[in-house]
Amino acid sequence: MVENYAVLPCNGLDKCAGAISREIAIKLCENTKNEIICPVFYRVADAKYNKIAAERPLIVIDGCPTRCASKLAAEKNLKISQKILITEEAKNHNIELNSGLSLQENENALIEIILNELNITDEKTVQVSDKTLVSINFDYETLQHGKFIFRVPKNPEVYYNENDCWAWVTGNRARIGVTDFVQQNLSDILYFTPPEIGAEIDQFGEVGDIESSKALVALISPVSGKVIAINEMLEQKPEMINENPYELGWVAEIELSDFESDKELLIGFDKYFELMKKKVEGSNG
Amino acid sequence: MSETTFMGVERNKIDWKPTIDYTKCDYCMECTKFCPHKVFEVNDTEEIKLIVKNPNNCVVFCRACSKICGPDALSFPDKNATTQRIKEIRKEENNG
Repeated sequence: MVENYAVLPCNGLDKCAGAISREIAIKLCENTKNEIICPVFYRVADAKYNKIAAERPLIVIDGCPTRCASKLAAEKNLKISQKILITEEAKNHNIELNSGLSLQENENALIEIILNELNITDEKTVQVSDKTLVSINFDYETLQHGKFIFRVPKNPEVYYNENDCWAWVTGNRARIGVTDFVQQNLSDILYFTPPEIGAEIDQFGEVGDIESSKALVALISPVSGKVIAINEMLEQKPEMINENPYELGWVAEIELSDFESDKELLIGFDKYFELMKKKVEGSNG
Repeated sequence: MSETTFMGVERNKIDWKPTIDYTKCDYCMECTKFCPHKVFEVNDTEEIKLIVKNPNNCVVFCRACSKICGPDALSFPDKNATTQRIKEIRKEENNG
């Protein structure tokens, strides 16, 4: 059971998905020790909720991708334990939501599914993969621009795409993540949505989302293959991507399916460092 | 900060940009606030208030604006077809 959480729904009356987020929050808090944070009240008078927001793990329920609840959490500097996006859940479960605000058969079915999944996720014990590659200390080149420092691994077995993601390739596996350019641009990272273990990823496919108070970016995979491990520490400490997006804040490990072909559209350290330098100079004037 | 090439291919040869579905767009303009590359332009005085003004500024393979679009009004080309096309252009140019 999901117990002792603070639950922040978007509660939006702009769309059906918002009405669903409200309903899920109510159901999560009925006859439990969970507590709802009303987003409307919280925005204008936060004293009522500051204690539970600070002390309890937080579930954020966004109705649509505008992510009002997530943005509110970011504004209040809250750490998010779990996130639900109703429109995405509806897509994943092939459920079409109605255009009005009333909850009908489809909406109620989705609510039940999400509540069940939440309870199952909460009971699931975290399994640490024994397939994870050993740790490595990269050799870095550093670029300083104003107060910002950008490090880039120089190791020849590290490849980059022009979307500022890296892949450390060893044998038929690669560990992947974002570069310092991404984390510096995002600023304080608040939430990481990992890919599914076992998912087949194309080159340039999305492998998880990283979200800060400023923006949301998807990690665009430099390589194709199967996700065989994720960095489970990021679920609790997504800020590790800010601290060090390489050794600590890597995102996933991929069993490579066609690296020879992928390599055609990847670059090594020299070219990436030059490219990043141009982007840094361009983005900061 | 838009690049003029992507993977050595001139950016204007790569078809990668958002397409706005005006039947869904509610002109909330979150995409224009979000995108740092000035891909979109707002025309408050026009009937169509939002357009893709600078498609070549769009970062190839980035779909971030579609992820923050509340009414789900933004779509992108097929990623695999784009990847394939970039490889073909590179081959053509290397052989040429």
